[in-house]
Amino acid sequence: MNKALKNPMLYIVLILPCLILFGMFFLYPIFSAIRYSFTSWNGVSATPKFIGLDNFTKALTEERFWLAARNNGFFILFSVGIQVPLIIFFSLLIANVKKLKGLYKTAVFLPSIMSTAVIGILWGFIYEPNIGLLNSILKVFGIEPLYWLADEKYAMISILLTNAWQWTGFYIVMVLAAILSIPRELDEAAAIDGASGMQRAFSITLPLIKPIISVVIMLSIAGAMKAADIVIVMTKGGPAGSTDVMATYMIKYAITNFKYGYGNAIAVLIFIFTLILTALYQLLVARRSERIEY
Amino acid sequence: MKMKRSLMLLLSLCFASSLALTGCGSDTNKTTEGSDSPKTDTKTDDPKSVEPLEMTLRHTQVGADKQKRFAILQDVVKKVEEENAGLKFKLDGVESDVNRKEKLRGEMAAGNPPDIFDLFGSPDSKVYAKEGKLLDLTPILDELGIKDKFSSLEPFTYEGKIYGLPIGGSGEGFFYNKEYFEKKGLKVPTTMAELDQILATIKSDGKVPMAGASKAGWVPLMLANQLWSRYAGSDVTSKFVKGEAKWSDPAVVKGFAKYKEWVDKGYFKKGELGFEYAEYTTQFTSGEAVLLYDGTWKSSVFKAGESGEKLIGKVGFFNLPPVDGGAGDQTSLMRDVNNGYGFSATVAEDPRKLAAVKSFIKDLFNEEMQIRGLVDDGVLPAMKIDASVLSSKITDDLMKEIVNVLNESKTSFPAFDSLVQADVTTEISNIQIQKLIGNQTTPEKMGEALQKVQEEANSASE
Repeated sequence: MNKALKNPMLYIVLILPCLILFGMFFLYPIFSAIRYSFTSWNGVSATPKFIGLDNFTKALTEERFWLAARNNGFFILFSVGIQVPLIIFFSLLIANVKKLKGLYKTAVFLPSIMSTAVIGILWGFIYEPNIGLLNSILKVFGIEPLYWLADEKYAMISILLTNAWQWTGFYIVMVLAAILSIPRELDEAAAIDGASGMQRAFSITLPLIKPIISVVIMLSIAGAMKAADIVIVMTKGGPAGSTDVMATYMIKYAITNFKYGYGNAIAVLIFIFTLILTALYQLLVARRSERIEY
Repeated sequence: MKMKRSLMLLLSLCFASSLALTGCGSDTNKTTEGSDSPKTDTKTDDPKSVEPLEMTLRHTQVGADKQKRFAILQDVVKKVEEENAGLKFKLDGVESDVNRKEKLRGEMAAGNPPDIFDLFGSPDSKVYAKEGKLLDLTPILDELGIKDKFSSLEPFTYEGKIYGLPIGGSGEGFFYNKEYFEKKGLKVPTTMAELDQILATIKSDGKVPMAGASKAGWVPLMLANQLWSRYAGSDVTSKFVKGEAKWSDPAVVKGFAKYKEWVDKGYFKKGELGFEYAEYTTQFTSGEAVLLYDGTWKSSVFKAGESGEKLIGKVGFFNLPPVDGGAGDQTSLMRDVNNGYGFSATVAEDPRKLAAVKSFIKDLFNEEMQIRGLVDDGVLPAMKIDASVLSSKITDDLMKEIVNVLNESKTSFPAFDSLVQADVTTEISNIQIQKLIGNQTTPEKMGEALQKVQEEANSASE
């Protein structure tokens, strides 16, 4: 094996399929998106017109684009600030149950294997103003029905809740795997020394699963930046554009209007923003968490 | 190390499977190419056998409400296949909006649209025609002698050539629950004041006066469009692009204000911004809402076996009544002939395909099929049909009322989205109308905001 890899020709031949696929499905689309982002292009024409940075200046000076970007920010805040602590909490709970662990794992994982379209319909019923579950519960307490998806005040939070419901289970399973891979002796030793469950969770388990939490946060940020499907199925960006995210802004203001050049510019901006955010996170937070050695 | 090895294994598995998959992809491509190429059948001994020819036909007749329309298409397809030996259509049904905004566009850009496809006139067909993606139908229409038979081909015309054919037309007005009207002693309104009175009566009765489902902006805009056209004249929308009229003109704003007034009085279904278009119909068919402002295509729902079955014979149709101080023709009605079929420019390269397209046009765009579309499906003809022929064919009461309304309206105007630039459409349908409904803007501010976008779009297109 090692001998073979010393032969440069063989080495190249072996990685060639990978490089070709990587080039075809990753590099080429990115570069073509960047190329078209500098053009005025209707998506059909064979000769896009080069217009320099116009698309970018237009997007960056557009109020609606920043509103959409702000909503992406809400996605990030919600997932990192609320979802991640919940994920850790539930993972710890499930890791420590004695019975039916498999059932819990399956139950929390279930939403993430469902299609977003299905989830949109499912939660659409929950949020339904007249007969929906939420308003029926509110009614018991004598609260007037709320128009969850139709009211600008609640639409965004409704989407965030649904999105969290969809993905929490997926991350829980990831964190759970990390917790379960911690050698038992550590926990047992601490227990013998008289550490309470809480102490063990905070002083032993949490520090040891830091790297995986870091990964979960990274994935949450990246996921929040490219969120689109859940918004489309739940509110279509409405009411009055209040739940638009960058990706739905791109669809509405560029793709639908035959402005593919502008659309590509937005896509490139989303890419750049995501790159900056994840790079910042890596530099400021993730790097500092050291490698774990048991 | 163990971990590394399993990772390697996983990666190589990925590669292997992706390679296999790409292999599959190119394989299927090859076979289709093979069947398309004219040389494949040279070995057959039987002189009568014709080499097979497959053509793809993209239609949008999916879902329960479009079954009737699909049946018409299927019959046409069968006929065309009989007329062209060896021809086999591959039907590809895609939801209309998905086809219009995603699928067809992607295919156009990639240069591989289906041979025949559902196409919107304005602005879509013009964009595609400009890039040479659409088959010029002018010679075919001349040959078949049906060029002058259409009521309007304007939306499908680019630089004097015709690139698509409208399958049907539609008008928009109020569907109303006749049973309820009779019970309450209400009459079809002839003035705006009467309509206001009716709405107030229904409201005080505890019913929903008008269905509402404004998650998609075009739904409330059907009525709003009609309102501002009543107040400011039916040709006002076409003037926005030329700068001859403004969205912020008082008369236009009056239209928005009227809409807002109805919203404020609670005449629409509450929480409308959260409802899909499908729920719009349901509010009416369930008897919850008494009025439904919708396109004439909706009449197909009130037929046996359809979702509005129990309302058969209990639904009427009327035009928005004239308004006081309104401009222009007060019977004017929004009418649309913007949807139909287009054909790929590549069809011209294959004489057999071209012949098939010719038969398709001949078999689909004729009086018989137009009348069938009207009678079976409630789609108004896009071709000129003699009024006496029409009235003799229509047995359905609702359809008779609809045709009456259309005959009584002296002029018509196209929907705003086929007149103004796409940016303006986006602004009004995604933002402004929903803001108006959600009480976050005033009619005046709405007019100004729209005018701003309109002016930007006007200057950009110069």
